[in-house]
Amino acid sequence: MKKSSLIISSLIIGLAASGILMAIHAQEPVQELVQNQRAEGASTTNHSDCLMFGPQRERYANQALHTLRLGQMTDQVSAIRMATIMSSNPAVSVPGGSRTSSADTSSANLIDGYIFPALKAQGVTPARMTNDYEFVRRIYLDMTGRIPTAAQVTSFVANNSPTKRADLIETLFADPRWLDKWTMYFGDQFKAASTFPSSGTQLYSGGRDGLNTYIRTALTNNTSYDKMALAFIASQGTNNYTQGELNWIITSRVTGGPVQDVWDGEAAAVAETFLGISHMNCLLCHNGRGHLDTISLWAGGFTRYQAWGMSSFFSHVALRNPALDSTVKNGPTYWYADDAGYKTDYALNTTTGNRPARQPVGTQKTVAPNYPFSGIGAMSGLNYRQSLAAHVVADRQFARAAVNYMWAYFFGMGIVDPPDQFDPARLDPNNPPPQPWTLQPSNPQLLEALTTDFINSGYDVKHLMRTIVNSQAYQLSSDYDPAVWSPAWQPLFARKLVRRLWSEEVADSISLSANIANKFTFDNGMVSAWAMQYPEPARETSALLAAFLPGNRDDQPRKQDGAIQQALALMNDSQVMNKLVSTGTGASQSLLGQALAITDNTASSNLLWLNILSRYPTAAEVASAKTFLSTGTRSQKMQELMWTLYNKVDFMFNY
Amino acid sequence: MNKNNIKKLLASNPVARPSYFRRPHWTRRNFFRVAGAGITASFLAKEADAQAPGTCTSQGMTTINKATNVIFILMAGAPSHVDTFDFKNTAGVTPAAAAPQTVNGILWPTGILPKLGAMTNQFSLVRSLQAHALVHSLGQTWVQIGRNPAASLGNIAPNIGSIVALQKAPERQPGHVLPTFLALNSDNAVSSGYLDATYAPFKVDPTTAGLPNTTNALGQARWQEMYTQMHAEDDTLRVNSPLGTPVVDMDALYASGTGLMYDPTVASVFTYSSADSTRYGGSSFGNALLVAKQALAANQGTRFIQVTLGGWDMHVDIYGEAGNKGKTNIFTLGNQFDAGVAALIGDLKAAGMLDSTLIVALGEFGRTPGFTAALGRDHYLNQFAFFAGGGVQGGRVLGVTDATGANILDNGWSQNRPVNPEDIEATIYSAMGIDWTTICYNDPFHRGFEFVPQSLGPDYYNPINELFK
Repeated sequence: MKKSSLIISSLIIGLAASGILMAIHAQEPVQELVQNQRAEGASTTNHSDCLMFGPQRERYANQALHTLRLGQMTDQVSAIRMATIMSSNPAVSVPGGSRTSSADTSSANLIDGYIFPALKAQGVTPARMTNDYEFVRRIYLDMTGRIPTAAQVTSFVANNSPTKRADLIETLFADPRWLDKWTMYFGDQFKAASTFPSSGTQLYSGGRDGLNTYIRTALTNNTSYDKMALAFIASQGTNNYTQGELNWIITSRVTGGPVQDVWDGEAAAVAETFLGISHMNCLLCHNGRGHLDTISLWAGGFTRYQAWGMSSFFSHVALRNPALDSTVKNGPTYWYADDAGYKTDYALNTTTGNRPARQPVGTQKTVAPNYPFSGIGAMSGLNYRQSLAAHVVADRQFARAAVNYMWAYFFGMGIVDPPDQFDPARLDPNNPPPQPWTLQPSNPQLLEALTTDFINSGYDVKHLMRTIVNSQAYQLSSDYDPAVWSPAWQPLFARKLVRRLWSEEVADSISLSANIANKFTFDNGMVSAWAMQYPEPARETSALLAAFLPGNRDDQPRKQDGAIQQALALMNDSQVMNKLVSTGTGASQSLLGQALAITDNTASSNLLWLNILSRYPTAAEVASAKTFLSTGTRSQKMQELMWTLYNKVDFMFNY
Repeated sequence: MNKNNIKKLLASNPVARPSYFRRPHWTRRNFFRVAGAGITASFLAKEADAQAPGTCTSQGMTTINKATNVIFILMAGAPSHVDTFDFKNTAGVTPAAAAPQTVNGILWPTGILPKLGAMTNQFSLVRSLQAHALVHSLGQTWVQIGRNPAASLGNIAPNIGSIVALQKAPERQPGHVLPTFLALNSDNAVSSGYLDATYAPFKVDPTTAGLPNTTNALGQARWQEMYTQMHAEDDTLRVNSPLGTPVVDMDALYASGTGLMYDPTVASVFTYSSADSTRYGGSSFGNALLVAKQALAANQGTRFIQVTLGGWDMHVDIYGEAGNKGKTNIFTLGNQFDAGVAALIGDLKAAGMLDSTLIVALGEFGRTPGFTAALGRDHYLNQFAFFAGGGVQGGRVLGVTDATGANILDNGWSQNRPVNPEDIEATIYSAMGIDWTTICYNDPFHRGFEFVPQSLGPDYYNPINELFK
């Protein structure tokens, strides 16, 4: 496939897919919808009954444009970085340690065995390897959500061990901050939120904290990913506050329709979260034909009836929300899932609600459970939900989707991208789809090899992560000569895509580098110095955290867009300004205090740059800083110099 | 699916169009002309310049072109038309407190909308407006983008305000510091869709504290010193990068941000006195309208302001006679709307700005004329729209409904059909001098983005010219 058509087709597919993607929203009571139908009369509109185009629209629009924007952002940040590197003294900026300038394409890493041959076949030269400064900052941010300290930077660079990158990676796995970051990551993925504005569902802080606790415990114990999926899909219990895994099924609850709407919502959530197939949501309203034909070879031939087979695995479930015990102040409002809630299978008997009417097909008045990718239904000895969970984790697509989601985090875009829009009919490199369709993954063999490796590892999340971050592919620089670079090489992973830091990473990196702790009080009463420990993204409590667009785990995605408010926050927010101090408790330990204690302005500058930007200043930067410090009151000028570093363009990116 | 079908589909969706990456990009001059126009400027996608020749086509319609600014009020939750601007006095249902009176020939609920009742000559009503669908989220998106969110390009369609910001970008002056498109109390406002985030709504929830982070704790002089030093360190990268213009875009975020700092005009736009707040009804909605008026009066580049007033979804106890006593009901919310909009019209008129400022208020649909057992009203397609200023002749009512408000008897305008949200969109564009038949081919599919949908024919949806003549 030609490079240009590769990128064009993947973009068009991504955009087109989101064009018909849907999301769930409903608040109308059933009886009211009955009346609406009467009131509506002849005036109807395609899809208005599907309710998929409302509050979650933002999520899908963002996804459609995301990859394109990432590429452009990388161009710009990389241009900045290039200039920094070109103007810096190499002896200062790359001392000792691994000085590899090009990737070792004979690397034994599983990923490299596919990425570099593919690049070679296309005649594309990969970006150079990261130098140690680039790598140490990148790996700390990606793994722990915080920049390294100056000591961590310099000791890593000075280390001459040939295995120092792999060794550092192991150290970071053991860092409690790794747990913070990945609890936040999986909290996003599994929707640990107290409230869901798009559906009106409430988990309250108790349910959300329960889900977070489950995630954190699973990460601590390195619980295998298939066990997590089994727990989320099939767990039973009576209190979602104390049994955190129960919450996941409630996050996809739908209101304002018949119970089939709820089951459909759960089936759609399973397909999106665990199979990377968000089109299931569309298929639960209508057949693929005439809707999805141009986007997904698989979905074009898939029917709503088949999708119901998936929903039917939930047809015995009732989500129960016990009445508040009025004798207990602020008593629990917990949920539980009851698999004896209903006795019959998915009934085709609805005319109202969030999705089009379900009516008998011939004499068929109910739909039995049927996993549409294997054609197998309920299993003996297991209840319906347990059967579905077993089908899902046994499905190769389950592992494939997991691998691809993780890849998309570390590389900025998936091997299948957007990562939730898999086309199961276009994945197998040994069985390519009929013309004019092409294989969907940008590197199908790589995706299959990683999938097999993930399965063989026992669905070990850390193993997958370790394979990725140890690869030369991940350790490529984001720099590339803009005169040579072609955007068509982006899906080949010929360079690293940059990402803008998350809200929490910005706040924590400021606090960490200044060596002055923040104090955040969460809505559950917990107090922490780290924004990464927020139980869900904070948008109300801090202008700085809100400015970097952390999303709400429901209808607002975490975004990488730039914003004027981001500039205003980094220039003026109290979270920045109260770090520029050298007096008060512990102030001599503050970065400013340390910089002032050093009389030599070059050394002070080095200290500031290393702590805030994880690199030494360039010769031009040192010269500028020294000139600046040479007049006026030194303490004030040092304070101002420190401020400029938080506002330098490379601070807010992981490049 | 067989191969023939695939071929047919591909033939109808040819991929032989310019690559996404080969479309014209912004020039630096263009960028700075509109920098500051949105909450999110970007190191992100730059869309083709819609001002560039050949990018957009239109049928050359004559527009009304009387409005310089728009204030778009979204009454989220869908207000009851029969209790407000298409009032019906229903025996046994309408409470005495609604105090119906005939004002200028219009039956008016003076207990719900007292102040506006005393100034009916200042605004006009459309009572033949009909929504397409009865789902809140869908409908709210629909009225903001002026098209079916489920239709072609619906999910990447920009807010009406973003199109206005795009079209009015050439009129921004170098000294303008306020964003072209403000969204007040509208955190969920639809954003700029496929357009550059430069045209996205700048979202603010006004408080007495003003716009956050627009002053520095070290004081203006030292902030200026720091800012200058930052540039000294970074200018080789930010401004005169040997690597080309893209880096310059990043600096535009800071340029726009600094434009909002230490600017007495900006500060005075986003803060307000308690006396003024009280005059506007003392509600967050009133405060937003007050800030809207101040933003327009400042004449600093703002052209389109969206304000949201939610809470109209009154299925239960709409009159607050049972459980909703003291809570949000048609009286409390109606009074809020009434106080705010009446003060806004009065202030704009006093400042000589009413004729150039179009005020539009509507919900996503209406509510059932029939009263429910829950003492409320459910969802209904028929609704109303409220228009004032911007060349709109006051005191008019277009469209007539029957005695209960269930059916439209007379559409009241040139088209032989009810008014739709798309017509409201066309009206806004025409009032602002924007040709509503414009199609811009800068969308990601190069399919052609129609300012007002033309799927039913290029002249199906129309401005409501009857409001202006």
